Amino acid sequence: MKAITLRKSAIAAGTAAILALVSACSSGSTSSSAAPAASAGISADTAGTVRVLMEGVPDTDIVKGLLAEFNKKYPKITVNIESIVYDQIRDKIVASFQAPTPTYDMAIIDNPWMGDFAKAGFLKPLDDYIKNTPNYDYQDFSAPLRAIGEVDGKTYGVPFYNYGLGLIYRTDLFKTAGLTEPTTLAELATAAKKLTTPTRAGIAMQPQRGYKAFEEWGNYLDAAGGSIYGSDGKVHLNTPEAKLALNTYIQMYKTSAPKNSLNWAFDEALRAVSSDKAAMMVSYNWMLPTLNKQGGPAGALAGKFKLATMPGGKQILGLWDWAIPANSKVSDAAWAFISWLTSKEGEAARVSAGGAPVRTSVLTDPAVASTGGGADYFATVGKILGNAEPLCHGSSCDEMINAVGTELNAAIAGQKSVDAALLAAETQANKIQTQ
Amino acid sequence: MSTLVAPRPQGTRRPNTWGFGGSLLLGVACLVVFLPFLWVLLGSFKTGSQLNDPTLITFHPNLANWRDVIDSGILQAAGRSALVGIITVSISVVIGSMGAYSISRYKTGGSATRFGILAAQVLPPAVLVFPFLDMAFRLRINDTLAVVVIAHLSFVMPVVTWFLIGFFDAAPKEIEEQAMVDGLSRFAAFRKVVLPQVAPGIGASAIFGFVLSWNDLFYALILAPGNAATLPVRIAGFNTFRGVELGSMCAAILVSIVPVLIASFFIQRRLVRGISGGAVKF
Amino acid sequence: MSFRLRMMAPLLALFVGSVGYPLLYAFYLSLTSYRITHRWDTHLVGLRQYNDVLHNSDYWSALKVTGTFVFLAVTLELCIGLMIALALQRQKRIRDFTRSFLLTPMFVTPIAVGLMFRFLLNQQLGALPAVLGHLGITYDFFGSGNALYSIILIDTWQWTPFMVLLLLAGLESLPRQPFEAARVDGASAFYTFRRITVPMLAPVLVVAVLIRSLDAMKVFEYVYAITRGGPGTETQTIQYFTYQTGIQFYRLGNASAMSYLLLAIVLTIVVFLFRRIERSRRS
Repeated sequence: MKAITLRKSAIAAGTAAILALVSACSSGSTSSSAAPAASAGISADTAGTVRVLMEGVPDTDIVKGLLAEFNKKYPKITVNIESIVYDQIRDKIVASFQAPTPTYDMAIIDNPWMGDFAKAGFLKPLDDYIKNTPNYDYQDFSAPLRAIGEVDGKTYGVPFYNYGLGLIYRTDLFKTAGLTEPTTLAELATAAKKLTTPTRAGIAMQPQRGYKAFEEWGNYLDAAGGSIYGSDGKVHLNTPEAKLALNTYIQMYKTSAPKNSLNWAFDEALRAVSSDKAAMMVSYNWMLPTLNKQGGPAGALAGKFKLATMPGGKQILGLWDWAIPANSKVSDAAWAFISWLTSKEGEAARVSAGGAPVRTSVLTDPAVASTGGGADYFATVGKILGNAEPLCHGSSCDEMINAVGTELNAAIAGQKSVDAALLAAETQANKIQTQ
Repeated sequence: MSTLVAPRPQGTRRPNTWGFGGSLLLGVACLVVFLPFLWVLLGSFKTGSQLNDPTLITFHPNLANWRDVIDSGILQAAGRSALVGIITVSISVVIGSMGAYSISRYKTGGSATRFGILAAQVLPPAVLVFPFLDMAFRLRINDTLAVVVIAHLSFVMPVVTWFLIGFFDAAPKEIEEQAMVDGLSRFAAFRKVVLPQVAPGIGASAIFGFVLSWNDLFYALILAPGNAATLPVRIAGFNTFRGVELGSMCAAILVSIVPVLIASFFIQRRLVRGISGGAVKF
Repeated sequence: MSFRLRMMAPLLALFVGSVGYPLLYAFYLSLTSYRITHRWDTHLVGLRQYNDVLHNSDYWSALKVTGTFVFLAVTLELCIGLMIALALQRQKRIRDFTRSFLLTPMFVTPIAVGLMFRFLLNQQLGALPAVLGHLGITYDFFGSGNALYSIILIDTWQWTPFMVLLLLAGLESLPRQPFEAARVDGASAFYTFRRITVPMLAPVLVVAVLIRSLDAMKVFEYVYAITRGGPGTETQTIQYFTYQTGIQFYRLGNASAMSYLLLAIVLTIVVFLFRRIERSRRS
């Protein structure tokens, strides 16, 4: 009798335990495609391992540094960050998106990829998650940044860090030459020419064929008063502004850029500026704190750099978004991390540690302004983010950017006339995006 | 094979000018081979700012790059490359030698097989890689070394087989015919008599095949980019167009070169003897 | 099953699995509109991809770049390789060391070689431009008009040892008698070379050139590591172009058609050459 009773109670206890375990599990990470758990955000009880692939850049290190803080709120979620070089990211995540079991449960998406990935069904729409997260304040993200993650009326990504471009220049050299921040493209050209000496170029340029050429020249187009897309949503490069921009660019390349720099990209320009071989460059806005850092790459030149918007105030924007793959099995846990990191508090922590901002409130937060680049820098970043356009939106952006960049490089190299190159760029861009 | 090469009688001398020119050429060649290695060696010990000065030769060496590289798991990647290479070559040699014997002795399939094998070498990997990726997903072996081996077989096996056909062609038939007359089965004759004869050739083909597999970047990059990264993939990881770790890259390159340098000392004699054994007759 | 078929069977099976299947699948892909980002939208389009490729001027330009590359690189490697092989054959002292040392470049993984030269020849950081600068020469190795030749030089650095290997092996397996006879008859070194060495070495030369050319056609790592096809499309080789179209731009159906066209072209050339060689051997 006793044995049977014991057995029965053991079974009862076992069943209760199993039921408890099952309910605990199902309330956490395994509900992926259903609506998020509670309208009070993701429960702090959520468990899961979230694997994400990121680029080996300073912002990634900052995120890694914030993981301990994240685990205080969500102790059961483990975030595994793998960091590699840019070139290998896309192919790896595309492979993961299509695999029966994903290699990555969360992803960062570069803005040119967003259109293709969203339309291919690789990513999960985040609108419900955003709606159900309290105090998230999605509208606080800078408007051009939000637009990048929104495809066909749904939101597939929330901003991570921006790489908007701007003009970085040497304040001491400007002072000696009696120059002020250029407000027109012509003034920029004059300034560059004036700063060119036999041992130092006026401006380090990055005309490398493909992405780099387009990324840099796009700023010149904006400075000339033009824009890449017209109001009809098509690429318009065969315009007088574009021709002016390209002619000015080529002129500056010939007279004020370092010799033999036709193939230059980010590396080379940075090296030139940090070793006093160039006085200015158009580059990512967050290069400024790096250049001004004592003991950083600029050596003795640290502190002598300033960031300005492009002449005219409009420039090119780049952005990395957080996204959740459609085949992710731990979406709730992934969103827990994303919403925590991109919340106002998370953002403030990240930017204070040196990250590139995406929220307008953070830019005016006095606590943040005292860190990193200083209030001046953040004010300029605010201006940059307020009036910027990405190189491409829609589908097949990689191919479109490459096609335009190839034509631009051909014109800069003198292989094609400006008119022919711009016309070819426009035709190809539109053909690629509508295929 | 060595019977064809009679030893040169003592006392014969070549004209001196040719000898001198030859030595000069070899000296220059050695220098051209050596200098890039030297540059990389120096670079691996330099810090970031020292690297900005290309002609800096005497400086206090810094081990930070080496530590970074070893921490990054490059030795494991090299191990994986070696494993893939050995497996690929072993399969290729075993199966390829059997097939090559059949093609050489029995003209199986005629000239279509020889061309067919060549055709496999022409197709760019960019096209073959997607079927492999698709197959890997279905068999759930994506991002493992298994799928890399299968992909490597697609270009190692034809080359190995092709070389072996040449070696078998050069091996005289009489010996195995004699063995069969003596009572050995055909397969036994193949195994015990023909293979030892062609052994140097097999060695040479194996080395070629291994090198082909060891060097492959393309398939490994796409089929096993993550946990199963091979050495070339790892090295490519140091190359970025948005910021380069030049010093670490130099150290990584050296890690991939040093074992190769050591191995080639042992290999070259065998390689030359093996190939001269008849493969290169067509 | 007969002995010879049983010996062939494993090879055939493996061939079908690791070569045949991907080949056929890729051919099927070339007849579709397959794009990685639009998988659900794939349908057969017959020969439309082939038509696109034939009318794509970038494709023909890539073929031209590749053809130039292969021709110049292989010729250079053959000439230098032959000279080195001859010198190595005559060498009496420290043979083993020189031979091993000279063969090392071919064993280094090509991506490492590409990266090595990317920075060795870099305007700002490289030793060679710095040395040339001291001599008053500024030469942009990867600038317009130069990039392809720089890549050819890198290929030569890496693969001449391969030629040396094959040619040296060939030379060492040549019979001694004709050379002895020529020496006794008082023939000059050049005459010996032209009339005896080269003809006897001809089969080896053919094999070496063939293998190296087929390999050179697939050049990818140097472009990937250094120029990414630029400046303009000067170093856009066919392998890189196919990779870019199929993987970077997701248009795998199109890329498959490109490769099959390439296969057709190359096979035609190879078959044509083989027939010529057979005919000349018979004569």
